Amino acid sequence: MIDFSRVQKELQECSKDIEASGIKVTPVSDNLVHLTGIIPGPVGTPYEGGTFRLDITLPDGYPFEPPKMHFVTKVWHPNISSQSGAICLDILKDQWSPALTLKTALLSVQALLSAPAPDDPQDAVVAQQYLKDHQTFLSTARYWTESFAKTSSLGVEEKVQKLVEMGFPESQVRSTLEIVGGDENMALEKLLSS
Amino acid sequence: MGEYRSSDDDYDYDYDYYDDDDEVDFVDDDENAAELEAAVEPEIPPNSCPSSKVITKESLLAAQMEDLIRVMDLLSLKEQHARTLLIHYRWDVEKVLAVLVEYGKERLFAKAGLTIVETDDVSSSQVSSSYCCNICFDDVSLEEITTMDCGHYFCNSCWTEHFIVKINEGQSRRITCMEHKCNAICDESKIRCLVRARNSDLADKFDRFMLESYIEDNKRVKWCPSVPHCGNAIRIEVDELREVECACGLQFCFRCSYEAHSPCSCYMWDLWSKKCQDESETVNYIAVHTKHCPKCQKLVEKNGGCNLVSCICGQPFCWLCGAATGSDHTWTSIAGHSCGRYKEDREKETESAKRSLERYIHYYSRYEAHRDSSKLESKMKETMQDNIKILEECSTASSKDFVWLFNGVDRLFRSRRVLAYSYPFAYYMFDGDLFADEMTKGEREMKQNLFEDQQQQFEANIEKLSSFLDEKFHLYNEDEIKDLKLRVIALSATTDNLCRNLYECIETDLLGSLKHSVHKIAPYNTNGIEKASLPSYQDT
Repeated sequence: MIDFSRVQKELQECSKDIEASGIKVTPVSDNLVHLTGIIPGPVGTPYEGGTFRLDITLPDGYPFEPPKMHFVTKVWHPNISSQSGAICLDILKDQWSPALTLKTALLSVQALLSAPAPDDPQDAVVAQQYLKDHQTFLSTARYWTESFAKTSSLGVEEKVQKLVEMGFPESQVRSTLEIVGGDENMALEKLLSS
Repeated sequence: MGEYRSSDDDYDYDYDYYDDDDEVDFVDDDENAAELEAAVEPEIPPNSCPSSKVITKESLLAAQMEDLIRVMDLLSLKEQHARTLLIHYRWDVEKVLAVLVEYGKERLFAKAGLTIVETDDVSSSQVSSSYCCNICFDDVSLEEITTMDCGHYFCNSCWTEHFIVKINEGQSRRITCMEHKCNAICDESKIRCLVRARNSDLADKFDRFMLESYIEDNKRVKWCPSVPHCGNAIRIEVDELREVECACGLQFCFRCSYEAHSPCSCYMWDLWSKKCQDESETVNYIAVHTKHCPKCQKLVEKNGGCNLVSCICGQPFCWLCGAATGSDHTWTSIAGHSCGRYKEDREKETESAKRSLERYIHYYSRYEAHRDSSKLESKMKETMQDNIKILEECSTASSKDFVWLFNGVDRLFRSRRVLAYSYPFAYYMFDGDLFADEMTKGEREMKQNLFEDQQQQFEANIEKLSSFLDEKFHLYNEDEIKDLKLRVIALSATTDNLCRNLYECIETDLLGSLKHSVHKIAPYNTNGIEKASLPSYQDT
């Protein structure tokens, strides 16, 4: 059984220093099994300026078993699948310790963005490029960040406007857009089903 | 050395197996036989210290304690710490000693994740009466906190949860502390105590896992591979390739856990058993006799006629190259289609597949034949028992006087087994592929002749021994029995000797000269595969 009171506390703890870390964890559903994590792309990397969204599912044994995480935002990185967003990170597997939290795990993922380990790749194509043609790797990663991990604030306001005009309350529109990472269609779907 | 010629027979036996000091003087037939018997078939193995032991369910604890106590005494450790250490070093006490000498106690312990610190309990170091557990973030009283040897403390409920997850993951033997990057192994007594409070079944399971570690994590101990499992494990005292017999009667190779297969090497046996099991030869047959239709991919068998074949789906194709063709053809050519060069290659391939199938059948049939006769001969003992009873009834003879007969049968069984396995050995040894870069064709032929000479001599003697043992001795008079006794004993000795020579030839001349020595065989034992001794400390 998931220790929900711990998850609850983790979320509170995380929201306290959101300004400093930029890491955000929000529940997708009411039952705290399914969450969304947001990490800012580390400064000085091709991911800088991007906002990366991860899908988090807590297993029954949490926190004694590691949380399941994968990127929803597309990322070009040797240890992250460019297809599925699966992450190759030891602490999410056998090196998980119950003393770690969702926030520390997300910090580790952020650290992984800064320090790829191309010798232990999740995505062989990206890893090959990282090792053999680093310049192309950097520009591809930057391009992906630009295309998938950035939503201009203007764009967001336009989407909010559009959805509000359809008759949904503004606060609900904003929170829904945030959950789905700014995807207008997904937000609409969600609003309609709620 | 000497030569013995029996009075009324022409059997010649060489006694050059007496390479030790026990020269035998022949006085008369009776003593002769008795001495021969003693020398050739000693009932108790000369080395009274057995090199393998059976570990039963009951003796497992005692066997494990033996090693634990050695380490506990040596390093003045508690039992659970000694166990952590031994699990890490695969129950190899010598290895523990070697690491201790080379790196010192601290490194020895650290490598195994063993931390022995005189930690103060939280109670003495903490002033406040409650403490916030770093896992569940709940405030708990001090009684509900457990500190591990590494000094990290968390609440009991979190520890228990952690242990349960790890036990269920099958990691009972290496449950580390919950702290991130702490590799310390948790104290098994604390694990046991906490888990038992929550789930006593799981605690039992944990205990069993810990106990069985002695078998599963131990390079000198292996489960007996019997099916259904007899519950025993075997421990060997000397770390070398050998074959053993479990108390349940199963004989197996200690290295690969398959049936005893010497003089085949483990690698050869693995290849052979797979070859016999799967249909690789059938696959060969298919390669020779069938082809895929280029249209519907069904296998088509040619049932005569020319090289233009048509599949049941209607597609005509060329039998030689397998390509789709038109249906217009003559006896020698197909309109618009030619595959001349291809044809030659194909025929060669077919030829070689055929040859390799024939070669396999040659060896396989001999291997099977000897295993079959071995099965028939196993009934021999029963028949003999009956015949001896008949003799007992009409004379003063007792079954004790026929020990030589049973020894002869045992020799026959052992030799027959070796002979059977020598065929798959030869199949791989003299097969061009496996040792292609080890010897030239000429060398291979020479070695094959050498081996086959010995093998054939061995085989001839086995058949002769089999025929002796099959004689209707219950109809014989006393002199005739005496004669049979001498013949059986002497021939047994010769067979034993030939078998030893065959092993020697394989070990030194054939396998010994290889550069890559992946092929090793268990040494020959004149008394057959060693029976592992039963534990003497069963009651302790």
